[in-house]
Amino acid sequence: MDAATDSAAGAEEVPPLPVRMLNEYTYCPRLGYLMWVQGEFMDSADTVDGRFQHRRVDQEKKRRISRRAPVDDGPVTIHARSVSLASDRLGLVAKIDLVEGECNRVTPVDYKRGKRPHIPKGAWEPEMVQLCAQGLILRDNGFECGEGVLYFAASRERVPVVFDGALIARTLELVDLMRKAAREGVVPPPLVDSPKCPRCALVSICLPDEVTFLQSQAHEPRPLFPSRDDALPFYVQHQGARVRKDGDVLKIMERDELLAEGRLREISQLVLFGGVQVSTGVIQELCKRGIPMTYLSGGGWFYGVTHGMSHKNVELRRHQYRTATDASRSLVLARRFVQAKIANCRTLLRRNASTVPEDVLDDLKGDMRRAGEAPTMETLLGVEGNSAQRYFSWFSSMLANGMGFAFEHRNRRPPKDPVNALLSLAYAMLAREWTTTLLAVGFDPYLGFYHQPRYGRPALALDLMEEFRPLIGDSAVITAINNEEIRRRDFIETLGAVALTPVGRSRFIEVYERRMSQEITHPVFGYTISYRRVLEVQARLLGRHLAGEIPEYPSFTTR
Amino acid sequence: MRHLYVVTYDISSPKRWRRVFRTMRGFGDHLQLSVFLCDLPLMERVQMQALLHEIIHHEEDKVMIVDLGPTEGRTIQSIETIGIPVEITKRGPQVV
Repeated sequence: MDAATDSAAGAEEVPPLPVRMLNEYTYCPRLGYLMWVQGEFMDSADTVDGRFQHRRVDQEKKRRISRRAPVDDGPVTIHARSVSLASDRLGLVAKIDLVEGECNRVTPVDYKRGKRPHIPKGAWEPEMVQLCAQGLILRDNGFECGEGVLYFAASRERVPVVFDGALIARTLELVDLMRKAAREGVVPPPLVDSPKCPRCALVSICLPDEVTFLQSQAHEPRPLFPSRDDALPFYVQHQGARVRKDGDVLKIMERDELLAEGRLREISQLVLFGGVQVSTGVIQELCKRGIPMTYLSGGGWFYGVTHGMSHKNVELRRHQYRTATDASRSLVLARRFVQAKIANCRTLLRRNASTVPEDVLDDLKGDMRRAGEAPTMETLLGVEGNSAQRYFSWFSSMLANGMGFAFEHRNRRPPKDPVNALLSLAYAMLAREWTTTLLAVGFDPYLGFYHQPRYGRPALALDLMEEFRPLIGDSAVITAINNEEIRRRDFIETLGAVALTPVGRSRFIEVYERRMSQEITHPVFGYTISYRRVLEVQARLLGRHLAGEIPEYPSFTTR
Repeated sequence: MRHLYVVTYDISSPKRWRRVFRTMRGFGDHLQLSVFLCDLPLMERVQMQALLHEIIHHEEDKVMIVDLGPTEGRTIQSIETIGIPVEITKRGPQVV
């Protein structure tokens, strides 16, 4: 636990500000706010390397600063590494890489991983402000401190920074601004079209271009984060399998036989179907790494999720609760979810079923309009039910003939025919996907705006998945059937309930995952992005909307 | 941007050798004795370097990292084997 959270229990309304965060705030006020107030963090190659360089500094022998200078032994040399100090007057805390000096005159030295920038002042403002704040803390602790040194590890150069009046004034100004922003709880706006954004580790959380675009339509968003993920889901559905950990590798065993291996770094979540055993070592490691583990029944019913400590971003959850208790704001969001769902259902029908009469598409358009105008939640539910019936009555026209699959209407618990079994599994997978995405972003998945919070259902996940049911779920089912990846023999029927065989399920998961990995052109932002990433971007945009940054939640509809 | 790397090492103590081996297992496929093939984004490459840096003895051991270039949207063509085939795991969602 760091100093900031440690002393927060005191009478102070804002905890002491770490000067490291002051550096981030100077670089970009929004970045500083996201990191300090909201506790957001994400690693990039730069941050990993920075930590590695600092560990080397910190590992060298630590020494306390002794200020009892013996009177007659001449000047005492100070050379202390990794010194933690605070100033109550300024409300600042710092961990100073190195403090050098003699007697009472000291110089803070801050290690930087890169090369010295070749600019007139010899260093960028954020580093100078951070160093100056360290100097001010040292002064408040009784030292004399007139300048500091930035040490650039890559070029092994020392750049002195004099704490003159202008730098001190600027530092104090930034401290005040940052504390004010934290007190008021208002996230600073993103930088506009800034060259700082592409290298920023938090760019996929901040969404600078997307937020600016949705506010003013000014600049076309740049593709600032990868269009696909490096880590991907790992499914274990082999009944009786055990999951063990060996170093950084997960091993799936059946008795003493190794079924498969997976590197933890490449796993985004572990999905377990039915009777699969997991060791405590695996659970601890997954929690530590922030990899969620989800449980589904053999038939795909989504039971629950294990994940590490809750996300730190309390502010986001506060906005969520506030909106969920506001009936009119909830209704506005609910209308958008339903409207977008009907729009996507209509598009899917239009594209995949040539036999659908024009008036059915018109009726669905009418449903969209009615959903957008629904005066109450009950009306909206009614509109949704009607349009779902309309849509599913034409669903079978999207399935290729001669595959032996019939579909009349949607049924579940349990599904009574193969197509319904596939749909149920697809929706369960989507609910799981949304639940873990929402948890990772910092939401409470159990409190929604449209779906009511009961029976432990992840209501918010169900809300957000509405528009993705046709896009991902139905589409995967249609692909699996029309491409003959799933056939009649992949199902078993017991007492009128139809379920997939393990082979069929495994094949359907592959189709579903292929759909999730598919890269598409974002309908609003214009860049290429995979569906998997779309979910995260949508969740973050919802957060931006709830915080009042963007006027409307931009639902995801394809053309 | 993901790149493909061949990582090879000579480690003089068995204890450190085992630690290097275990660490490398988390990053890539063990091709043959003291040779790993890794498909890594830049961040993980930095992580790997930092970890190896900590494990090895800088006067007695050596590690070599060969960058075979970007892998995004490309299949691996630069590897040819004679004799026992080399197994390279395909990246993607796994279903067991």
